Amino acid sequence: MSRIGVFICHCGENISRTVDVERVASEIGKHPGVAFSTDYKYMCSDPGQTLLKKAIQEQKLTHIVVAACSPRMHEKTFRKAVEAAGLNPFLCEMANIREHCSWVHENREEATLKAIDIVGMMVERVKKNRILPTITVPVTKRSLVIGGGIAGIQAALDIADCGHEVILVEREPSIGGHMAQLSETFPTLDCSQCIMTPKMVDVANHPKIKLYTYSEIELVEGYIGNFQVTIKKKARSVDEDKCTGCGVCMTKCPQKKIPNKFDQNIGMRTAIYVPFPQAVPNTPVIDRENCTWFKTGKCGICQKVCGPGAVDFEQQDRLIVEAVGAIVVATGFDLYSIAEKPKGSPIKGYGEFGHGKIPDVIDGMTFERLASASGPTGGRILRPSDGKEPKQIVFIQCIGSRAREKGISYCSKVCCMYTAKHTMLYHHKVHDGQAYVFFMDARTPGKSYDEFWRRSIEEEEAVYIRGMVSRLYQKGDKIVVMGSDIAVGVQVEIEADMVVLATAVMPQKGADTLAQKLGISYDKYHFYSEAHAKLRPVECATAGIYLAGACQGPKDIPETVSQASAAAAKVMTLFSKDKLEREPIVARVREIGCVGCFACKKVCAYGAIEEKEIRDRQGNLIKVVAYVNPGVCAGCGTCQATCPSKSVELDGYTDEQIVAMIEAL
Amino acid sequence: MNIHVLDKSIYTAVTEAIRSEATRLLTAGDVTVIVGYAAARRKGSAQPIVITSSADADKLIFTPACVNNLAVYLTKAKKEIPKGGKIGIVVKGCDLKALVGLMGESQLKREELYLIGVPCVGVLASTVQPATELTAETIASKCRECDAHLPSGCDLLPNVVLPPMPQLEGKYSAEIARLEALPPAERWAFWKEQFAKCIKCYACRQVCPFCFCEQCLCDRNKPQMVDTTPRPAGNTAWHIVRAMHLAGRCAGCAECERVCPMDIPLNLLNRKMAKELKELFDYEAGFEVNEKGPLSTYTEKDDQSFIK
Repeated sequence: MSRIGVFICHCGENISRTVDVERVASEIGKHPGVAFSTDYKYMCSDPGQTLLKKAIQEQKLTHIVVAACSPRMHEKTFRKAVEAAGLNPFLCEMANIREHCSWVHENREEATLKAIDIVGMMVERVKKNRILPTITVPVTKRSLVIGGGIAGIQAALDIADCGHEVILVEREPSIGGHMAQLSETFPTLDCSQCIMTPKMVDVANHPKIKLYTYSEIELVEGYIGNFQVTIKKKARSVDEDKCTGCGVCMTKCPQKKIPNKFDQNIGMRTAIYVPFPQAVPNTPVIDRENCTWFKTGKCGICQKVCGPGAVDFEQQDRLIVEAVGAIVVATGFDLYSIAEKPKGSPIKGYGEFGHGKIPDVIDGMTFERLASASGPTGGRILRPSDGKEPKQIVFIQCIGSRAREKGISYCSKVCCMYTAKHTMLYHHKVHDGQAYVFFMDARTPGKSYDEFWRRSIEEEEAVYIRGMVSRLYQKGDKIVVMGSDIAVGVQVEIEADMVVLATAVMPQKGADTLAQKLGISYDKYHFYSEAHAKLRPVECATAGIYLAGACQGPKDIPETVSQASAAAAKVMTLFSKDKLEREPIVARVREIGCVGCFACKKVCAYGAIEEKEIRDRQGNLIKVVAYVNPGVCAGCGTCQATCPSKSVELDGYTDEQIVAMIEAL
Repeated sequence: MNIHVLDKSIYTAVTEAIRSEATRLLTAGDVTVIVGYAAARRKGSAQPIVITSSADADKLIFTPACVNNLAVYLTKAKKEIPKGGKIGIVVKGCDLKALVGLMGESQLKREELYLIGVPCVGVLASTVQPATELTAETIASKCRECDAHLPSGCDLLPNVVLPPMPQLEGKYSAEIARLEALPPAERWAFWKEQFAKCIKCYACRQVCPFCFCEQCLCDRNKPQMVDTTPRPAGNTAWHIVRAMHLAGRCAGCAECERVCPMDIPLNLLNRKMAKELKELFDYEAGFEVNEKGPLSTYTEKDDQSFIK
């Protein structure tokens, strides 16, 4: 015989303003099975919880219903209190009479009757609750970090410094990512390379970090604490153990005119190359598409000149399997290529701005390479077309960003600040030059950010024009920029030598494919989705996978580094225990009814369903049934909805419980 | 007036082929049993038979009276055929679709079966005497709209040439079109009347190869999902469950309709569901094993117009 205790919360006045809580308590007290019911001003407060615990002991209660706010808010609180009083926490249910009742109704009488119904339903449900034991799964205390930009580097270093092994996987031949491409960084104008390269070296030298560059994620299996990751290590054609990084191969390579992606294709590299001199690892890679040996079978100069004999044309792609307990995704961003419309994308191009057609219309990242001391021009701002110094330069902001008509509605967040920085770098290098900026708004929240922007106008003489550009065209060796100044209400025409477009920050290409391998969700732009925008910003909805940096949304460096450290802290929280405790709300198969059609297996998004053989004592196979791996099951209930014979049910949400609730109405 | 008579002359050759293959298989021990058809007591009638000895091979026949879908004997819920070796089975095109469906749902393995395919002109409607001539009038409704006269992927397919088949007007498609044109209230009234006839004998469930659950949801009482007594609400619930559970699976053998003692047009409901599945997901029951049915798969191409 159950002795159910019902505890009605006033929630200050949130509930009691609309619901007659005392009447609910007295009415529900008459409900069959209810042994005790009471109300209290703040049930979640310390005295409220004490009242609950005391009642459980004094009244010998067996099941508890707390009628208060949403279970998302305080279910954990009350289950903990119930557990402290000696009951299994899953014998406690919450009736939501705030969000589902008092907040959405005005009529006190009707709201009170509804509250009685809601509580009555939960009383009937809790009668069918079972004791659920906590599920524990082991934790592999190694982590995988995908992406070797500043986000991945920071997360890897933080985790490794705590003494746990990290597998860092980078798609490109070197770690460093976009930050390594930048010249100076806002708001302090310190050299990006100067602050970045020491961290890259730290990664290379860290005994706890295993670095796989020129590698990609092939397959992810398993679940929180127990992932198996298959990594494809692409053939570098250079033996990393033998190579000393002397660079002779690169100086001798006859293919010298290959556009270098790291330099935004304005600088050139050889076929055997490191993307930039400070690359980590400092081991070259052969670009097989452009290498004479791979194209014609002749040449092989690099192999001949290599002292240690590291060049290996026969090297093949390798698959490596690593076991990890947590995954940090830090795949970063890409700039929207505005010249052309991506195939099949709802996002439209900016063909009218001549990017890709007019050589001196460049994007922000190309300007970074021009301004960088280690860039193709040695840090001099020169036009890609004729190498002349531009005396009039126009920066146009919000190219793609905040342009709903072009398909992107979000703000790329970093462009206001980097354009301000660009005007400064330009002014420092071209003293007699003039920078103009076309902008919609200047968005400069952040420590020392607005001061930085003001400085570009007040000290560095950038002219800001509020308005958009309608058209760009080449006229002789000038680019005519036609726009409007909406502050003054006039048309503006500037004959510029160079135009820099602040193009939208987009997720990396292939972000969606990686998300599908990982089983994490992403938005329509393919930015990865966090579990909760405010309260769980670095966790994915898929347990054990965390997000860092611009793969989740546009971010600047300080924010990226903070998020990377936050993700590392989350990984450390996971690794702080040997076994992982998880909520036992998982599906369970009623084997006697299971006919082994595996409809559940086909719909399970988490791969939690396995095939289990049932044998008699002689070992003869009786049948094959479904088995739910409790470590993997996310408790979504899709299997339960799919099973034709209702032979798999979600603990805590069984059909019996749901039907009992409906029948209570 | 033999313009309506259908040419079923190939059935003699088909019967011969079945018999000789059965003899060979059972003698060689390639299969332990063969499920097929044999003559029954009434003139011209046929019934399912399970033989285990080559001496019985001559009992096997194929005639227009061989209406049963034998796939049902291989399902767990019905457990008629004991496991223990390869099973030989005589299959018409429509029956093969059912077997293929069962393979896709992990109920059967192809390598455990020896399929003796039947080139089929058609079988008789259950409403006529078994000795009746097979004509455009006496042919079963399902055969009028058949797209599977010649099964494929069988281990044996008798080498006969199908006679030219007359184009017969589809009764199901015509009835579906008529019902679709009705206002919802009248359509509902039609089905309410049909379901009211149900006596909950569950013959439709027992004969259906896809009702292979060992414990049917409708037999469970914790909680009681479907009312057990033959009353309107429970009847409707049962028929909705049946139609929904068959959507994207039904092979169209129409056995449910044949065995219904109350003449509820069950296959009409199944055909309507099949039509929806074809329109929404371009899915049709066929001869290829599908690991994932249309209703347990999500693709970005799925119709989402229902999301308002």
